[in-house]
Amino acid sequence: MKRTIAIISIAAGLASATYAHDIVPGPKQTAPIALTNATIHTVSGDVLQSAGLIFDEGKITAIGPRADIPADARVIDLEGKHVYPGLISSNSTLGLVEINAVRATRDYAESGSLNINARSAAAIHPDSELIPVTRANGVLISHVLPQAGLGQFGGTSSIIALEGWTIEEMALETDAGIHIRWPRAPSVPGFRSGNTPPYNAEKANEKYYESIRKIENAFADGRAFLKAKENGEEPLDVDLHWEALIPALRREMPVFVNTTSIREIRDAVQWATQEDIDLVLITGTDAWRVADTLAANDIPVIINQVQSLPRRRWESYDTVFKNASLLHEKGVRFAIAFGGSGPTSSNERNLPYEAAKAAAHGLPKAEALKAITLYPAQILGIDDRVGSLEVGKHATLIVTDGDPLDIRTQVLSAFVGGREVDLSSRHTQLRDKYEKKYAQP
Amino acid sequence: MKKRLFHCLSLAIVFSAPTFARETTVPVEGLHQNTPRVHALVGATVVVSPDKTIENATVVIRDGLIESVGANVDAPADARIWNVEGKILYPGFIDAYTHFGMPAGLTPNKPRDPNASGPAPARANPPAQSGPAYWNPLITPERDAAEFFKSNAKDAEKLNDLGFATVATFPGRGIFRGQGALVNLNGKSLNESSVDLKIAQHVGFDLAPNRPDQKSAPYPSSLMGSIALIRQALYDAQWQKDFTKAYEKNPKTLERPVENFALSELQPLINNDQFALFHAADELDYNRIANIAEEFSIDFAILGNGYEYRRANYLEESGATLVLPLAFPNTPVVDRYTQTLDLSLEQLQHWEFAPSNLAFLADKGVTFCITTHALSDPAKEFWSRMRDAVKRGLSESQALAALTTRPATLYGTENRLGTIEAGKIANITIASGNLFTNAKAKVAALWIDGDYIDKKTARTIDIKGEWTFEWKGATGFETAKITGDGAKATVQFGDTKAPATVSEKELLFSVFDSDLGGKSDTDIARLQAYISPTQLTGSGFRSDGTPFSWTATRNDSADTEKEESENGESKKQDSDSIPELAFDRYPAGAFGVARREASDAVLVANATIWTSGPDGVLENADLLVRKGKIDKIGRNLKAPRGALEIDAAGKHVTAGLIDAHSHMAMSRGVNESGSAISVEVRAADIINPVNINIYRQLAGGLTTANLLHGSANPMGGQSQVIKLRWGEDADAFKLQGARPGVKFALGENVKQSNWGDRYTTRYPQTRMGVEQFMESHFSAAADYERDWNDYRSGKTKAPPRKNIRLEAALEILRGERDVHIHSYRQDEILMFARMAQRLDLKVAAFQHILEGYKVADAMVDINAGGSTFSDWWAYKFEVYDAIPYNGAMMHRAGVLTSFNSDNAELATRMNTEAAKAVKYGGLSEEEALNFVTINPAIQLGIDHRVGSIEAGKDADFVIWNEHPLSTYASVEQTWVDGIRRFDSSEHADQLVADQQERDALIQKALAKQNKGPKSKADEDSESEKENTLHAQQSPELPANVNPALAWIYSAAIHHYSCSANEEGHNHNH
Repeated sequence: MKRTIAIISIAAGLASATYAHDIVPGPKQTAPIALTNATIHTVSGDVLQSAGLIFDEGKITAIGPRADIPADARVIDLEGKHVYPGLISSNSTLGLVEINAVRATRDYAESGSLNINARSAAAIHPDSELIPVTRANGVLISHVLPQAGLGQFGGTSSIIALEGWTIEEMALETDAGIHIRWPRAPSVPGFRSGNTPPYNAEKANEKYYESIRKIENAFADGRAFLKAKENGEEPLDVDLHWEALIPALRREMPVFVNTTSIREIRDAVQWATQEDIDLVLITGTDAWRVADTLAANDIPVIINQVQSLPRRRWESYDTVFKNASLLHEKGVRFAIAFGGSGPTSSNERNLPYEAAKAAAHGLPKAEALKAITLYPAQILGIDDRVGSLEVGKHATLIVTDGDPLDIRTQVLSAFVGGREVDLSSRHTQLRDKYEKKYAQP
Repeated sequence: MKKRLFHCLSLAIVFSAPTFARETTVPVEGLHQNTPRVHALVGATVVVSPDKTIENATVVIRDGLIESVGANVDAPADARIWNVEGKILYPGFIDAYTHFGMPAGLTPNKPRDPNASGPAPARANPPAQSGPAYWNPLITPERDAAEFFKSNAKDAEKLNDLGFATVATFPGRGIFRGQGALVNLNGKSLNESSVDLKIAQHVGFDLAPNRPDQKSAPYPSSLMGSIALIRQALYDAQWQKDFTKAYEKNPKTLERPVENFALSELQPLINNDQFALFHAADELDYNRIANIAEEFSIDFAILGNGYEYRRANYLEESGATLVLPLAFPNTPVVDRYTQTLDLSLEQLQHWEFAPSNLAFLADKGVTFCITTHALSDPAKEFWSRMRDAVKRGLSESQALAALTTRPATLYGTENRLGTIEAGKIANITIASGNLFTNAKAKVAALWIDGDYIDKKTARTIDIKGEWTFEWKGATGFETAKITGDGAKATVQFGDTKAPATVSEKELLFSVFDSDLGGKSDTDIARLQAYISPTQLTGSGFRSDGTPFSWTATRNDSADTEKEESENGESKKQDSDSIPELAFDRYPAGAFGVARREASDAVLVANATIWTSGPDGVLENADLLVRKGKIDKIGRNLKAPRGALEIDAAGKHVTAGLIDAHSHMAMSRGVNESGSAISVEVRAADIINPVNINIYRQLAGGLTTANLLHGSANPMGGQSQVIKLRWGEDADAFKLQGARPGVKFALGENVKQSNWGDRYTTRYPQTRMGVEQFMESHFSAAADYERDWNDYRSGKTKAPPRKNIRLEAALEILRGERDVHIHSYRQDEILMFARMAQRLDLKVAAFQHILEGYKVADAMVDINAGGSTFSDWWAYKFEVYDAIPYNGAMMHRAGVLTSFNSDNAELATRMNTEAAKAVKYGGLSEEEALNFVTINPAIQLGIDHRVGSIEAGKDADFVIWNEHPLSTYASVEQTWVDGIRRFDSSEHADQLVADQQERDALIQKALAKQNKGPKSKADEDSESEKENTLHAQQSPELPANVNPALAWIYSAAIHHYSCSANEEGHNHNH
């Protein structure tokens, strides 16, 4: 086995090392491929038993029980196997961080609070070892967001396919949307006995409002810049922040707002309505509490974690598990993301189990599958290309031996835009290496 | 002796120095003072003691002591007579816990301002006494309140205003904080004010102050460290005693003992010559205190916190005297719906119940004193809360006892203080009415040590009300109403409101001449009156200087006013619903449960049973449970009479899941990061049975967890295996019979790689150092054992010092305590495996062990288990080679393997974690399930009790709605010891009931806050509104931390340092 090890600089007492894996991206599709005798889960339509799917030049050309197989096609018999669209992770930092505890490998948060213009596409590391690990479990597309502090702009996100030599090859959208982390709304502190100074609700609120005003001001300044640029006679001095904000102001690009509690969600929706922008909420535990408002305003939600403890001591253990199901019942558009623990995407591969947890607690199984395929594609604006198996869409799909939402299921093979993906990873390589240790006499 | 009556002169001297009636050593400068100290207080209602009151009695005081008291007592001829008709005389009140006279450094640290942001400020160690001290600055039993005492007139006056004649005062910081003093608040030097010194040793579970300016964390940084330090100090005191004895016998052969004031001052405590007053910071500390007291057979009392009602039965059984604050929470802020969600039911219940705390405890027969301690504004709060407590059912005599006889007895002064009886110190509190029921009643004056303590409130006459006027030389109004106080008073007659000023002696106001029969309605006449309780004696001058006079008498007597107010208050009381005196669910708040007993017999029928035992998986099988144990497994089992039958057709049953690596349910820190070796600390001391994650994990099928110390130290702390016996107390959670364990750790965490720039000097900083560190401490333990052997065999005469740290290390060395070693990389794993071989250590499990797949053979060599994450990796450098195949590969290589959580959320779904061993590595489903059942049970040495469904084992099992390894599976019931601890349908009912209770309490709070529609009666309580507060903000990140980086920050805080978010995630990998 070939392995390239690049030892990077050792400077100022900080040792860092990255390894470039040698898993070679598949070549572009040159001949049609026909998958036959499979159970095909189109997601947008029916589940087809013993059916075929043909793709050519990276796109699906036919699906059905009796598709005509071109003569030059490579035929793969998938008897007993299942075909699904590639899973889509809608909230990750894949490629922006390798090992979170090692500073040199962190690229997800720029300094300053007004990072509208910081672009994740400029920093996603295609040779991250996390990428093959993630796609090995069927997650083939990821929405990568630069991170931000409370009340801050993180930057512009990218949507990438998890296959390719370079970010340019991988990108479905280099600049997908702007990421803002909403300020933290004050929460009533629990009272304790003792001479604690009184909690000043007014002061806490004022601090919160001030942070919101900063976001409002940024948008007002951006609009002024846009107006001056469109109508002014003199050419404007360049300001990268406001230039980057223009697509959002024109509603050519969504604004992803990361919120936590119910109050933040409501305030963010109120703000977005006034701003007349395309809001996508990234939020976890409380969205169901404002489902009516979200449905009425047609605000889509990226649920950033299902397998999560309740936010509050008194809430039922399954409060967060039920979030998706309750949003679904109220007609809110949603996707399920793997929130993980902090800005680390090393276990983005576990995305399908987040959806499964929602299904175990009220969400119909078909909806759970959609929540990690078609729905994120729609919310991210890439459903013309991916998210379901339909003629004309990318051949970005996985072959499994069962339901991908069940842990015991194996992903057997995968294609991204018709390119066959090597499903080995750092993990399989190390496994193979050390299995030899025990096999050697 | 001739009495000289130089009144004017003596008054002046009295002002600058008190009378010298008591014999002291102070020489007399100037003239001698010999005012007689004989007084007769006549005509009052005298509350002699909590159960005896005499109407219209006389109290005679002579030379500081009470000479006689009674209705038929005549004032002696030499007594000065004090008419106290209409007043109530109480025994001088005693505040059983204050920091009166203590310097700022010895008062407790103020809780952090909930509005503050940024990192907590650095704190200094409390000021120490000089002399040979204990090594740890928090162990200062030699600190004597008397040594630091500096009387503070302002503070004394505040306490006098509340009626206190005596206080117990203690240094308020540290662990062994020092000796308290009992002091009369007579304004004199400690020579004359002290009633008794060294009344008790004060102890609290403080942590070492945070010192961001220092390069290492101080010891102790955790509650378990604090408790360990208390134990070590008490053993050290015992050692000092033993060593001194040995030295006295062998002064020629033994080196003299080392001097240590701290240990000397602990002698009275370990010899039961005095007691320790322990501060319980929360409802869980009572057990902890009682356990320490029991271990060392020391006498103790508890300074409480207001949550005692939750543990009333326990406290009653302990027999300890409590010193209790009137710390009731103010009305929670509920005006914003979204924020109200953040209030837990537990908090709301406490708000509702706290005022009943004392009545509830009194009812249970618990002995307690009441203190002003922990009130933010005692002047406003103390008596109003006391009256609230009385309204809630605390009897007046119990309340009075808690301020008089109880504290007198606690501090061994019941012969001198606490009642108004002949021979006692003449401490008397005079009130204008019944302080326990009447909001208008005030402390009018005090007698302390037989001296009169004047109060302004006693001299001030309230002239508010209607008055009838008689005029001479003027024709004025007939009646007027006086309202307001001081410079804001008014005299109202007809439609006119004349501005007025009321002082202690005088009323001043002015009106137009025309109001007094004059002509001018612009020129102003001035009026003045002397005030007495029933009459105003007035004079005045018209604008032109013509004098006139007037008098006024009250229309309504002051008495009627008083009664009205009492009525007013009782009306209010009726409208305020009093919660029932019951607290039968535990823990408080949501999902608390009533006490449960194991059913005699339970039959679970027709299930698919995953036995995790030799029987494998049984289809359509029955499980019979009797008296908490598994009785039989088989087909068509007969249910005994009266058995609870559960039809589990289509369901799956597994053994209760076991988590071999947990940090949930641990109070105040999972790491003792103050020392790289901390094997003396015990998770057993800090079990938190009210942590909600226990219940949530039961809802995920978990029944047993191994509570481990964190990974801050190469040689961490002692672990504790618990069963999730939700609803029981901490001691009941312990799984008896589990192998004793200890947590060790290797690699990045212990060498402080990710602790931040501050931590770069503690030994060890490399993996090389980790090995040497362990070697060194194990050798020390072996040396320690030899020292003891030599002493026991008589070879040496000097008793060795009992060292609980080395004793724990010795237990490990002897193989009596199993090591759970946090480890990642193969080099360090091999290092420790070889050390374990060399030293013959028993390694229960390598924890995390993410490179176990690389050296599984070495693990097998030492018969060590592997307790690993299913698939975590890449969160730090040493886990870059972690692979999800690790579990299966270790298992195949012969390692006893389990999957653990290390995380409160992950622990709610250990079943699907197990499924990852099927996915990654292709184990059978049974083998995979064993990773979270029988395998961890064997690792923890509890497989004789739990881990599989086999006859004779504990009835710990889970009923699943489908295949337990399916991601779609959820738990229907979880049983522990034959008791149903979680049931999904009961849970649904409980949710509804909890919600109703919550809603009702919020409505009540809303009404209290006057946010709802107002009624007239509510206006009285308007002033309460300003007080509405809640306390502590949940811990937030410092403002300067970029929350995107918060993960790292919180890693430093949670994982490697001392604090643990008890409700949140708890990654410690």
